[in-house]
Amino acid sequence: METSGSRPTPDEAAAALLDAGSARDQLSHRLTLPSWFHTSIGLAVVVQTATLAVGVADQSSAGIGLAVAGLVPFVLVAVVQLVRFRRLNGVWVGGLASRVVFGSDAAASTVHFLAMGAAIWAAFEERWWLVGLCAVAGGVGYAFCGVRWMRSYRGDPAAHSRGESVLLLVALIVPLFAGAVLLLVGAR
Amino acid sequence: MAELDRHLLAPARLKLTTMLTAVSEVEFAVLRDGLGVSDSVLSKHVATLADAGYVRSRKGTHEGRRTTWVALSPTGRKVLRNHVAALREIIDGVD
Repeated sequence: METSGSRPTPDEAAAALLDAGSARDQLSHRLTLPSWFHTSIGLAVVVQTATLAVGVADQSSAGIGLAVAGLVPFVLVAVVQLVRFRRLNGVWVGGLASRVVFGSDAAASTVHFLAMGAAIWAAFEERWWLVGLCAVAGGVGYAFCGVRWMRSYRGDPAAHSRGESVLLLVALIVPLFAGAVLLLVGAR
Repeated sequence: MAELDRHLLAPARLKLTTMLTAVSEVEFAVLRDGLGVSDSVLSKHVATLADAGYVRSRKGTHEGRRTTWVALSPTGRKVLRNHVAALREIIDGVD
């Protein structure tokens, strides 16, 4: 860090901070989400939760295949919406990608895991209406957490703009991927 | 006591680095429009801050055209935090 001897006056310092903060807030408020952003992510979570529950309860290779296939629409929706967001705004916001889309936000992941757990239990009990209900609740909760994050981001963009480190995401994704592969191999 | 950084004394550079805290990476034109400066002025500021290690810039594409993407580095984030703290001390009348 290079320090300087020329100190601004208190008025100059206040004006500089106000101006900089205002520019940052304008940028964050100008960002717009692509159409159907939260809805599409919520729907993808509904499909993923329902297929996971039905697939796991089926306890066959076809069932495990269905559970893994349920991830495909989720990944597709996530990638498409993130590309659209970047193209629309000319910015990348790591916090949006990791917390809203990939659900690393504590509330979103809790809702998602609870919904998946309840849906799997309901599928083993063959209460298919309850599987659907849990999947829809999971999707709505997930999308709602995204809306809430967006509100927090606009209130304090500097505190929310950064996503999880690549290392943490890899640490989360690798065991999930390995688990899916083991399930597929074990079911054959 | 926090210290002022000479690179961030220019209001445009303080504004630029503060804007970068709201995003992980931003396209050159978005930054230029937000700052209300010309391409050449922004290029100079980005080059100065990149030389100091406060920002990272990379060539990329946006809407099919070649452009530059700019991001705040961890060093830049730390220096900005110190600089803002020093400005707040000045405002509060701390010597």
